[in-house]
Amino acid sequence: MDTVASTAKLNNDEIFDLMKQFITEVIGEEFVEEMDITPESSFTKDLEMDSIEIVSFSEKIKQHFGDQIDFTGWLSSMDLDQLIDLNLGTIINYIQECQ
Amino acid sequence: MAKFVFVVPPLTGHINPTLSMGAVLLQRGHRVAWITLDKSLASRLPEGGELLHINYDENDQQKQDSEKYLDIITKKIVYGIDSLKFLYEEVLIPLNRHSYDGIAALLDQFEPDLVITDHQMFAGAIAATNKGLPYATSVTAPAAIKVMEELPKVHEWEVNQIVTLQKEYGVEATESIACSDLLTMVLTSQAFFGDMELTPNFRFTGPVINRPATKTAFDWDKLNESNKPKILVSIGTTFDHEHKKNFFAKVIEAFGNEEITAIVVSDPDLFEQWPDNFIVQRQVPQLDLLPYLDAVVCHGGHNTVCETLFNGLPMVVIPIAYDQSHVAGRVVRTGAGERLNFNRFKAHHLKEAVNTVLNNPTYKESAELIKQSFLEAGGTATAADLLEQFSVKQSLEALKN
Repeated sequence: MDTVASTAKLNNDEIFDLMKQFITEVIGEEFVEEMDITPESSFTKDLEMDSIEIVSFSEKIKQHFGDQIDFTGWLSSMDLDQLIDLNLGTIINYIQECQ
Repeated sequence: MAKFVFVVPPLTGHINPTLSMGAVLLQRGHRVAWITLDKSLASRLPEGGELLHINYDENDQQKQDSEKYLDIITKKIVYGIDSLKFLYEEVLIPLNRHSYDGIAALLDQFEPDLVITDHQMFAGAIAATNKGLPYATSVTAPAAIKVMEELPKVHEWEVNQIVTLQKEYGVEATESIACSDLLTMVLTSQAFFGDMELTPNFRFTGPVINRPATKTAFDWDKLNESNKPKILVSIGTTFDHEHKKNFFAKVIEAFGNEEITAIVVSDPDLFEQWPDNFIVQRQVPQLDLLPYLDAVVCHGGHNTVCETLFNGLPMVVIPIAYDQSHVAGRVVRTGAGERLNFNRFKAHHLKEAVNTVLNNPTYKESAELIKQSFLEAGGTATAADLLEQFSVKQSLEALKN
């Protein structure tokens, strides 16, 4: 299962692929195919995800990494502007630091 | 007899419930007035209702400002979390700042026993506080008081916007006073609102729907001829021509010449030709129509969603901005419908989603459960009872008798 795989330390590319997989699960494969997802992609402006979708994305991260990362705590400390500007790269860096 | 005054923003969805509550209070022999920026509200007030128009001894600038706020919210398409920032910074805060002096003056003039202010018209709460008048709050968009556990700073940011404005007018509270400590009426049921601890000043009244029957013309014959499933597609007015065109092109692709009758609220001139199984009107008598329908496609405005659920109908919600994402989330969570992403959905998603809610009875059953919770909450009568109970003079008179 997912959580077992997470015990191995992931590099940036692997984290990026994993994030992309979660985004696909949240918004659907056919939409992801049409998008050029990069570490610079912001959730609100580029991926056009709304708050509820961002929350389901964060639940997937939580499920995958379990206690290894306090992702919910980190996300909940974000103010409105940070949330609007939140991009994939920021999350990848955070996960990298926590590993 | 008591004197009630409603303080309303120039937003139809926030005004309509106050018209129902006001009508009941008037029938019960009270005096009821509405404080508003929108003069045209006069023609929609229930019989005996008084219009208190916020009307400055205006220089041109102020007059222009007043007009600007009447339709500012329809001028810009905003999406997702970003829309919240727009709503507060460009609409609510300037609107309330602009309205404050007018509200304060009209409160002096009318001397109400109870002020009922919309939860987005914080200026009403601030003015009432400064005048020492009791006030109740009517929460017409309940998502606003719901805190997203995962994103607490979003709500915190909203509260800060309000607190800053309060300070500007001399109210030193560190918490938002938008929701009254005395009585805050949440115009939905707890079942639809979802789990959240609220203090006893919050009361669920259920949706307050009791608009008088409209005289909007409608092609009832065409509707009655159809023995196919009937759906209403209504997406609100808050976006521009190009977005509308894109949206309805997808609706046409999804339902054109399918085994379905689609009633579409749109400017008929948007397309030269609509499919034969469509009934397209700029306005429809929505409340009269809903009992004859099988499902609704909408953008998740709280009123349309409540009216749909009140008829026990399943729906497909396609939220665009503001609190609509949250309302759509509640529809999905309660099992009464499916949601689509406004920017991303394609015609076939819409078709599949509508077929899913039409063909799977659990959606309708869930909608019926919410309907039951609305009926139990009481609606307009419950709201009017609460307001009477909290109008100070009324209770003093009751004591004397």
